[in-house]
Amino acid sequence: MNPAATAFVIRAEMAKTIRIYFSYPIIMVYWAIFPVLWVFPFLFQGKALVGSTSSAAFQQMTGSGNYMAFILIGAMVSNFVFSGLWGVGNSLREETYWGTMEYIIASPTHPLIVLIGKTLAEASITTCIVIMQAAIISLLPFGISFTAAKVLPVLLLVVLLMVGFYGFAIAFAGFTLLIKEVHGWVHTLEWVFFLFSPIRYPVQVNPITSFVSVLIPLTWALVAIRGIILLNQHEVGLWKISGILLAMDAALLVAGYYTFVALERKTRRDGTIGMH
Amino acid sequence: MKRGIKGSRDQAIESGPSGTLSLYPSIPGSLLGRLRHYANAVWAENIKEWKLELTYPLDFLRSLVDPVVYLLPYVFYGIALVGGRFSPNLQKLVGTTDIVSFITIGYVFIGFMNMALWAMGFSLRKEQMYGTLEPVFAAPVPRWVFTMGMSMHSILHQFLMILTQLLFILAVFSLKVNPLGLLPALAMIGVMLIALYGIGMIMASTTLIFKQGWLISEAMGSLLMLVTPIAYPLAVLPVFMQKAALAVPTTYGILAARHFLMGEQMGFSVGTAFLRVAVLCVIWVVCGLVIFAAIDRSTRKSGTLSHY
Repeated sequence: MNPAATAFVIRAEMAKTIRIYFSYPIIMVYWAIFPVLWVFPFLFQGKALVGSTSSAAFQQMTGSGNYMAFILIGAMVSNFVFSGLWGVGNSLREETYWGTMEYIIASPTHPLIVLIGKTLAEASITTCIVIMQAAIISLLPFGISFTAAKVLPVLLLVVLLMVGFYGFAIAFAGFTLLIKEVHGWVHTLEWVFFLFSPIRYPVQVNPITSFVSVLIPLTWALVAIRGIILLNQHEVGLWKISGILLAMDAALLVAGYYTFVALERKTRRDGTIGMH
Repeated sequence: MKRGIKGSRDQAIESGPSGTLSLYPSIPGSLLGRLRHYANAVWAENIKEWKLELTYPLDFLRSLVDPVVYLLPYVFYGIALVGGRFSPNLQKLVGTTDIVSFITIGYVFIGFMNMALWAMGFSLRKEQMYGTLEPVFAAPVPRWVFTMGMSMHSILHQFLMILTQLLFILAVFSLKVNPLGLLPALAMIGVMLIALYGIGMIMASTTLIFKQGWLISEAMGSLLMLVTPIAYPLAVLPVFMQKAALAVPTTYGILAARHFLMGEQMGFSVGTAFLRVAVLCVIWVVCGLVIFAAIDRSTRKSGTLSHY
């Protein structure tokens, strides 16, 4: 396929994904509001365990005792990761459910191109949702403010985080071709991220989670983003962390591509593409 | 399904007169026979779900590990906040300091909530995705029997998951509980499950209208998670949430289980807790059956059952 035809397919897939997404408009409202609601149990847990909105032990580990701000930032940034997992990683399984998987496989387009279209659509939708969440959060009294000086480096970090992560999600989409029923696996992966990266708690609290977290790009991104937004540290080693994320991106993209291609080839050879 | 039920609104084909050909030759007319017939259907649905689940053995194993992975962030978050395992503030609020035991016992109940919200709530949508919703609806048993079969499978699955979770926590954190409290705690869970069945029926019916049932389950799950005292006592919630929590069966399940197992002060007596859950059972089950029947009828009248 020539580049123009490829671009056309990507655009068509984006339009299709967004159209399906907006067939259920309530989903957009749900994603804007509920991830913010999910952090309230942690506020209540904090109040029950320490009796105030600030924790000295938390401050020792993270530099800030404001545990709510810590969690809210984790919730917003992790949105990108989780929507990628569901929207890209699970997307081919959804095509199976819709009965359109065989058409995609039989079309003269490589499934990877279709996945790129889905990825771009998912990224656009998630960005809109996170902007809505940021607007809601900045109105709440949790000590989080967004200024241009903070938002620009944060955007850079989010882009670097997501490039690598979409590589991982594409590999995961290949995995769905192989094992079919991945709904539960996506949930588990989601919680593995909750456990091994500092989305909801400082991973230093346990030596195992602390060790594993270093291998996850989300950890690096969250540490830097919290440093910028919460601690006003503009020189938190942004370039160093950007370099680490870039290296991880390269590794994940290459690994994601080859994993997907290998798994897709294996599924075709086994003749199990149409199986449910 | 081998047999139908005479006189049931749901049956499409009744037994014929003696000596004539009938699809369901021996239909139980007595209450006992009818109950046995329903029990058979519940069991068949339960077995079907297990067969489907065990078709993906890796996924089944994963589901047993999940509860541990889900629980740990809550426990670690608590430890990070307090700087250790014991919280003096929790002691002031409920009379117990051990946050690991407190959170673990509370968290077990999320599994039961998931039964109502996901296993039952999402059950009809799953059948729709499999393309088997219409055959299920044409089966000669009421729909509540079908959802009960789903919940039976889910309850058995939840107990397996809870067992894994407790074994892990016992091995790693040495859970401190009173073993004598186990039986009364299980009794409370049993009553609570009946009330949750009612909520599950409501969730299942919403799928018939909204189709994308996961959204309703997620939204409802998020709200229930907020008001249910899983990792915190009721006292830290705003007053309106405390009142809302009293209408949720899992609130009593958690409070009573923690009371029996680790001496948490509930703020009301054990008898009151059982009485309130019994009342909630009646309210939720009646509401669940009535709402489900009304939505089921309206969906069939409007012809939108097979809409996607």
